Amino acid sequence: MTYHFDFGLVLQSFPVLFRGLLVTIQLWVPSIAGGLVVGLSLALCRLSKTPVLRVPSLVYIEIFRDTPVLIQLIWFFYAFPIIIGVQLSPFVAALLGLGLNTSAYAAEIFRGGIESIARGQWEGAKALGMRPAAVLRRIILPQVFKRMLPAFTNRAIEVAKMSSLASVLSVHELMYQGRLLNSTYYRPLEILTTVAFIYFVLIYPGSYLSARLERRLAGKD
Amino acid sequence: MAYLWDFAPVLARSDLLIEGLKNTIEIALISIVLGVVVGLVLALLKLSSRRAFSYPATAFVEFYRNTPPIVHFFWFFYALPVVTSINLDPFVAAVLALSTQSGAFYAEVFRGGIVSIERGQWEGAKALGMSRSQLMRRVILPQALTRMFPPFVERSFELTKTTALASTLAYADLMYQAMLVNSETFRPLEVYTTIAVMYLLLLVSASALARLAEARMTAYRT
Repeated sequence: MTYHFDFGLVLQSFPVLFRGLLVTIQLWVPSIAGGLVVGLSLALCRLSKTPVLRVPSLVYIEIFRDTPVLIQLIWFFYAFPIIIGVQLSPFVAALLGLGLNTSAYAAEIFRGGIESIARGQWEGAKALGMRPAAVLRRIILPQVFKRMLPAFTNRAIEVAKMSSLASVLSVHELMYQGRLLNSTYYRPLEILTTVAFIYFVLIYPGSYLSARLERRLAGKD
Repeated sequence: MAYLWDFAPVLARSDLLIEGLKNTIEIALISIVLGVVVGLVLALLKLSSRRAFSYPATAFVEFYRNTPPIVHFFWFFYALPVVTSINLDPFVAAVLALSTQSGAFYAEVFRGGIVSIERGQWEGAKALGMSRSQLMRRVILPQALTRMFPPFVERSFELTKTTALASTLAYADLMYQAMLVNSETFRPLEVYTTIAVMYLLLLVSASALARLAEARMTAYRT
């Protein structure tokens, strides 16, 4: 192959890609934070004995888990504003789609974690006179967080990857900047490879950490 | 809000959506089959005791697991032709992206299943005088396969959902057809809700089938 790989262009496009990276992080962090908060309440509803709470949360979780994220983002950008009567900016629509999607997956992680804690712990805490909310906060959740940390880290990785779909709504995140540069310079090999590399550098530490955590937790049991 | 839902214009173009659904199923099935092949090769390479085999396979798997699928789609469609000077049509580029990406995930599923079989089983089979291939075929794989099944199904569902990205390369899958119908009818709420329901039905029925298959596969345990 005699293709001339233009490294100069890679360096030159770094500032533009870096701006995209910042937007990627602005999508990523709030989606995870929001997703965890909503996800915990969803998990509690899903585990509730009252059908009024359990059934809607089950339906919500399944809808978000069994449809492509791309559709969710597009739906929140093009369809949702018709229902609420307010046009959302691409960024807000992407954030809403990513955050709610994350909440559905986080709910399943929380549920798995809560169910994995032995029943005796609930009964013991109750016998000590704790209210259900206190049992959850002081006994159950700390263990769930620890046990499910690898699963949460994996989810965070998925969210970082999913955030690239916001480029379809023309949110100016990393992938969008890459596509923009590509259509300006017609150098897809350099630009897209650089974009892939930046994502890798962003995501790999998390996945390395989660693999190590998983091994350590597996060793303890 | 008194928005009047009107599905009539969408129903009038349902032929386009059905065609899109067919294309989505087609690309998903082809990519699952190719992805399994890629995954098997990668898993065997990763399990090899030779570093010349296991290191490149690990690098490949890690790269694909830690970069977004949409980058792979664009890379295969725009960048690969520059290197190879072969132009790929959207379908081929999408299949390549999907099968290499899911291959990386399948590799972990296969490897995980094989290494999950207890040491004693390997030793026992060896003590009976089985060769490595006999041991794999008769002892390890039959047990590993049932353990691999649930994560395999999960990955295949992820792959099916990822096929929606092929629409960004203008492959006529369900997502792309929906965009077409939307630009004809100007009914985004109805169109996108309809295809979301179509994906939901597709995956829910596939998951019912998978549960049935799993129950049959593990029937020997009870």
